[in-house]
Amino acid sequence: MGALSLEHLSLSYARRGDAFLALADVNLSIADGELVTIVGPSGCGKSTLLMLIAALLKPTSGAVRLDGRLVTAPGSDRALVFQDFALLPWRTVLANVALGLELKGVPANARVEIARRHIAMVGLSAFERAYPHQLSGGMRQRVGIARALAVEPQVLLMDEPFGALDAQIRQVMGAELLRIWERGRKTILFVTHDIDEAIYLADRTIVMSASPGRVIADIKVPLKRPRPLDIRNDPAFTAYRQRIWDLLEREVLASNSWGTAAGAVA
Amino acid sequence: MSAEAEAPSGDIALPFVMRFGAARPMIGAAAVTLFLLVWQIVGANEIIRSDLISYPSEVARTLIAMSASGELGSNLWVSLQEFLQGFLPAIAFGIAAGTAFALVPRLHYLCEPLIVVLNTAPIIAFVPIVVVWFGVGTQSKAIMVFLAAVIPILINTMTGIRQVHESWVRACRAFGASRAQVIAKAILPGALPPVMVGVRLAVGRAIVGLIAAEMYVSVRGIGRLIQVYSSSERAAEIFVLVAVVATFGFALVTLLRRLEGLIAPWSLEP
Repeated sequence: MGALSLEHLSLSYARRGDAFLALADVNLSIADGELVTIVGPSGCGKSTLLMLIAALLKPTSGAVRLDGRLVTAPGSDRALVFQDFALLPWRTVLANVALGLELKGVPANARVEIARRHIAMVGLSAFERAYPHQLSGGMRQRVGIARALAVEPQVLLMDEPFGALDAQIRQVMGAELLRIWERGRKTILFVTHDIDEAIYLADRTIVMSASPGRVIADIKVPLKRPRPLDIRNDPAFTAYRQRIWDLLEREVLASNSWGTAAGAVA
Repeated sequence: MSAEAEAPSGDIALPFVMRFGAARPMIGAAAVTLFLLVWQIVGANEIIRSDLISYPSEVARTLIAMSASGELGSNLWVSLQEFLQGFLPAIAFGIAAGTAFALVPRLHYLCEPLIVVLNTAPIIAFVPIVVVWFGVGTQSKAIMVFLAAVIPILINTMTGIRQVHESWVRACRAFGASRAQVIAKAILPGALPPVMVGVRLAVGRAIVGLIAAEMYVSVRGIGRLIQVYSSSERAAEIFVLVAVVATFGFALVTLLRRLEGLIAPWSLEP
């Protein structure tokens, strides 16, 4: 299972002496197996939201529940995939993928077997013994995804995972992610600032406001699956794009102005 | 960021660098050969007094004689033991203290003045007091090696740990790692390359400390021999001893570099 609910989640912290509100009363519920994307202007707190779910940050108020249980500490029931990959450069692909299992205390033999299975799943079996610096960006993020899936999390939290990749690789990786997801149907929460990516992947897209981050729209995307890459030219797709852009335009302008607290720093 | 991440690094090399890369050892060897040749001609033909500058073939002869008599071997053995007795504890203590200072800043503030003094003062200035405290034997030499070597190892460990990427720590924490696990899985292995650099830097300083202490006062050792032969103005023997010390340092640094390539291959990549 992997049903996630965020209840009245707020986060504020002191910045230059002032209390800064990063997230304001975020309420969301995500069903087991759902692929939900979150779009918003930069600095809106969408990555912060993932950190709260991962419990790498503590909310000022509100709660995160996974299958009804209160989330209080980081754990392998929620696995993160990072924009900067966050691989350990002294470890081979195999050892990187095994990291989470190692920290969980899985015995060495089982660890290797499970890691190999997930490396095969992302198509990197030939690179098991390679080091991250020998791989391209796209391949590194496949390692990141395999590492996250290897601990068999209930929820996969993806923080702009393809943000550091070029536009073509990005699309290919999106299709790849869908292929993996179709097989396991794990709950995925995917943060991005790319509207097309958000629509292409999603069962549902959450649109967030400029800082302080609030949910301003919750849009179902019932486009049929599997989705070909050129679905982006589909009239239904372009309609979603237009609708989300209409919602975001004002927020992006707000986050980009010098007058607001968010625009000045973030 | 994206350009760097996309490049499968490792096989990008400028042709210019490649050309000189292949020829580099040859150029070095040519320079050394030329130098030895000129030295031989100038010394052997007494263009400059050979009892002052000697010449390569005489140095080689002296090396063979000193090796055959056992003089070189026995004194080198003494120096080597002194070196290791100071250097190995310096590695252990330097890494432990550097780690502690990086993780507990208050401890660092407490010891910082002492570290600065040891780091900036010429290490030779400590020889007399170390001899007064620890005698003329092996112990004072080991202490000098320790004092000379510990500082670069300690400082590099400390900065290495401070510069560990936040992302490595984050990756471990996200999987629920404890503080001890974060240190073991992310911080210590991540700091290894700068620590290795510190150990390499320490080799040269430790040799200076050792030879200086032996020259100041001792019964045996390479530094002692240098002292003896310099007072009897024997250029060839001094050159032999300097060459032996230089070879030892070079060999150790090369070995450490190889070791670094084996245990941290990722650090040698750009």
